[in-house]
Amino acid sequence: MARTLSQDTHEYQVRVDWIRDRQGELIVQGKPKVQVAPPPEFEGPSGILTPEDMFVAAASACFMTTFITFSRKIRFDFTSFSCQGIGTLEKVEKGYEFTKLVLKTKVTVSSDDVTQKAERALDLAGKYCLVSNSMKCPVVHENTVTVK
Amino acid sequence: MGRSANSLSEDTREYNVRVVWTGGKSGDVLVGDKPVIKTGRSSESGGIEFHSPEELFVASASVCFMNSFMVFTQKMHITFKSFEVEAKGTLERVDRSYEITKMHMKTTVIIDSEELRSKTERALELGAKYCYVSNSMKCPTEHENKVVAM
Repeated sequence: MARTLSQDTHEYQVRVDWIRDRQGELIVQGKPKVQVAPPPEFEGPSGILTPEDMFVAAASACFMTTFITFSRKIRFDFTSFSCQGIGTLEKVEKGYEFTKLVLKTKVTVSSDDVTQKAERALDLAGKYCLVSNSMKCPVVHENTVTVK
Repeated sequence: MGRSANSLSEDTREYNVRVVWTGGKSGDVLVGDKPVIKTGRSSESGGIEFHSPEELFVASASVCFMNSFMVFTQKMHITFKSFEVEAKGTLERVDRSYEITKMHMKTTVIIDSEELRSKTERALELGAKYCYVSNSMKCPTEHENKVVAM
């Protein structure tokens, strides 16, 4: 749930309830519940979303929405967008931390005239992505714009 | 990528996700064969079923805190009856852009007997200290823990 405190401040609220064993449920008001658990490498079951997945997903999804915002500001259309996020979790002094995030993005546009605009929107999205800007680790972008 | 988590070495792991645009300001979050999460800006997609990137960010920290707490309860050989965390992330303008500047977690744990209280409180503290995801975020996390014996 999102609450606006002022034009420049917003709050995001979520709830997590333990269900059983090592499984929990993510509850965001008005949205479908999501089953969550630790990943198998940390003794969790398989096939269930983990906080590690969601951390990487938050940055990739934010990159997408920021790109869309800039595509509208710059006024161009794209036909597809797909971003693969790869987060690296490493052992540092105080336990584990994400030390790197790679975002491999593929955008297709319908004409060569907008390739430059799409590349510019991808650059700006990388710069203004609020979720990756809230993370400690560096984010590496590999962008590909294809005309199809 | 067949597996969503690749083990590079014992101390390094990779997490792979894919976000594919589905129209408007929305997309699907795909992680291996796990259930799809719809994401985007709900105000525009017209539906309320979309988890925004900001919510996924706050969720990742709170789920990680729960997992981390569970690890410590197992190490300490204690059990609990219920666990619930309400997390709130504050997004603020920082210079020219926005950042999540604060995270607040209100946790309630119910235990069977008063004897488990101090160990449970300790597991909550350690859970917070070793939460990978919060430790990967710039912002500080405030914890408000409540342990109830009943």
